[in-house]
Parts: sequence; structure tokens; C-alpha cells
Amino acid sequence: MDGSADALIVERVLAGDVEAFATLVERYRDRCIRYAMHMLGNREDADEVTQDTFVRAYRSLGRCEDPERFGAWLFRILVNRCRTAGARRARRARTFLDDEAALLTAAEEHPAEQWAWREEIERALDELRPEQREAFLLKYVEGLGYDEMAELTGVGVSALKMRVMRACDRLRVLLKEARSA
Amino acid sequence: MREMNRSRLDDMVTHLRRPVPCAPSFDARVMRAIRAVARQPLRIITPFVPRWRVWSAFAAVAAGMLAVAVLPSVRRVQGHPVQFVLVAPDAKTVQVVGDFNGWDARHAAYAAENRGGGVWSVTAPIPPGHHRYAFVVDDSLWVPDPAAPRVADEDFGLPNSALVVENTP
Repeated sequence: MDGSADALIVERVLAGDVEAFATLVERYRDRCIRYAMHMLGNREDADEVTQDTFVRAYRSLGRCEDPERFGAWLFRILVNRCRTAGARRARRARTFLDDEAALLTAAEEHPAEQWAWREEIERALDELRPEQREAFLLKYVEGLGYDEMAELTGVGVSALKMRVMRACDRLRVLLKEARSA
Repeated sequence: MREMNRSRLDDMVTHLRRPVPCAPSFDARVMRAIRAVARQPLRIITPFVPRWRVWSAFAAVAAGMLAVAVLPSVRRVQGHPVQFVLVAPDAKTVQVVGDFNGWDARHAAYAAENRGGGVWSVTAPIPPGHHRYAFVVDDSLWVPDPAAPRVADEDFGLPNSALVVENTP
């Protein structure tokens, strides 16, 4: 992987080196796909939204005001694309279990328990309202601070804290219910 | 996270943080799509700064049945002719960019002409459907259409305008 800073790569792409963009794709695609996958609950949709995010980012690269923070700017596009895709398409229940790539990585010591746990997590995420799921994933999975989240989502810090708190409360109930079932 | 069910919630977060495997062909697929749109050099466009007086546009977008037989475009876009109008008395160039032309600020078919009195307009073919667009003034200022509805979904932190073209023959 090219170790150059994002700003240098952006500069090269803007100067006409299209192939340099591949470094940015390689650098950020795993994080983008993970977020899209957890937000949309479907691998096919996650791939499509992530690809669309990169293409949109390329087209609008000249509008990236702070190329050193390309990753944050890209993630902002991704969050918006996930919102749009999520509004258009209902999460397709449990397709996660049909995902071949996920199946391959699930070969762990206790597959039955792993599957049950994965399914429980997917189901709990699916139960959250989209805005709560978004806030929860950004805070605890992506590890963003509330200020970063506010910048990225356009939502105020207080509202984001409330969403995260409600998401956690709901997840606690759901996980407890699943355990006692 | 609070104490109750702390471990299960923590376990959940740990699980969610694990990498999601990516298809080996993903990067190649993305780069193919990007090469397909990389037909024009990218340009640096700064966000709109209100130093321009872009005052009322009297007819922002009007779909019609005007003939557009002689549009100086290399890449033709199929669709209905739509007129875009912006009043920008101090502008030197005005360009329409949108999802219908790949946000290309050099697409000749979408370059507005000065009709006098600071009125810039262009009639260009737009495919049926819902579209987002904006004006680029003097190659640098991003200006949504003052007379058209704003799009709630902003991809890049810049406002765009909404356009619906009916699917009529």
C-alpha cells in the first residue's frame, strides 16, 4: 500500500493520476464496508453503497476542502448514502447468514454458538431505529467522538448522546431477552 | 456503557469491530467504475461564499418541449430539454452541474450563456427521473438554484437543488 498521506494522494488524483485513487480505496474500503454492512444488514447493499461512495468521492474530490481529512469526508458521504439506501430498501432479514465470505470467516471453535451469537447481534441491530443504529455504530464501533459525529451527521451533540443512550438501553433489553429465550 | 449487561454489550461491540471480509474483486470493480467517470480532469471547486449577489432567478427550471438539435456536446445526454436560468450580474461564466452530467463543470452542453442583464440560461437534455444539480459560477462558486427546492440529502456538505423530469413522450 502507498504510505503517502491522504492529502498527497488527493493532490495526485486532482492532477490527473486516476490510478492513485486505488490507494485511497484500499485504505478505506474495509472500514466503509463494515459500517455499511452493519447499517444496512445486507452484503450486496453494503458493497453497492460503498462502491457508490467511492465513485461519488472521486467525482467530487475537488470539493474536499481538507484533503488531510479525506477519510472523514469520505465517511460523511458513506453515512449519507447509507441513510438514502436504508430509506429506500428495508433491511433484508438474516441475509448475513447466507453471506459466503462471512461463512468462511466463521470457522471458529464453536460454530453453533458463534452463529447464534451473530444472529442475535444482527437481530438486535435490526431492531434499532436507523438513527439510533447510526449513532451507536459511529460511537462504539467506529470509535468517533461526539464532536466528530456531529460534524459527520449534521446532528447536534445532545441529540446524538440521547440516540446512543437509547440505543444502548434498547440493546441491553434485546440481548437480555435473547439470552433468556 | 452502564454496568447492567455490560459484558454482553461489550462483546457485541467487540464482534461488530471485527473486519468484514471484502470480496477480492471489490477494488478492481471500484476502479473500473472510477475510470469510467474519469473522462474529464477534476477541478477544484470551493463552496459557495456569498460575495456574489445571485438574486432572484425568475424561472429556475422549466421543462419543455424545445428542440435542442444543435448542442455543442461531445457526450450527449438523452432526455427532455430543460431550461436552467440563473441571475448573476457579476459572473463571467455559469455552468450547470448535476447527476445527469456526472457533475462535470466542463460539459459544453451545460454551459449557460449570458442573455443580457446578468441573466444566464442554458437549455439542455435531462433524462426522466429525479435529479440533483447546482450552478458553478466562475469555475469556483457552488450555487444552488435560488428558485428550486433544496435537496435534503447532501452528499458533500454543499447544498443542491432538486429537479423532476416527467417521463412523457
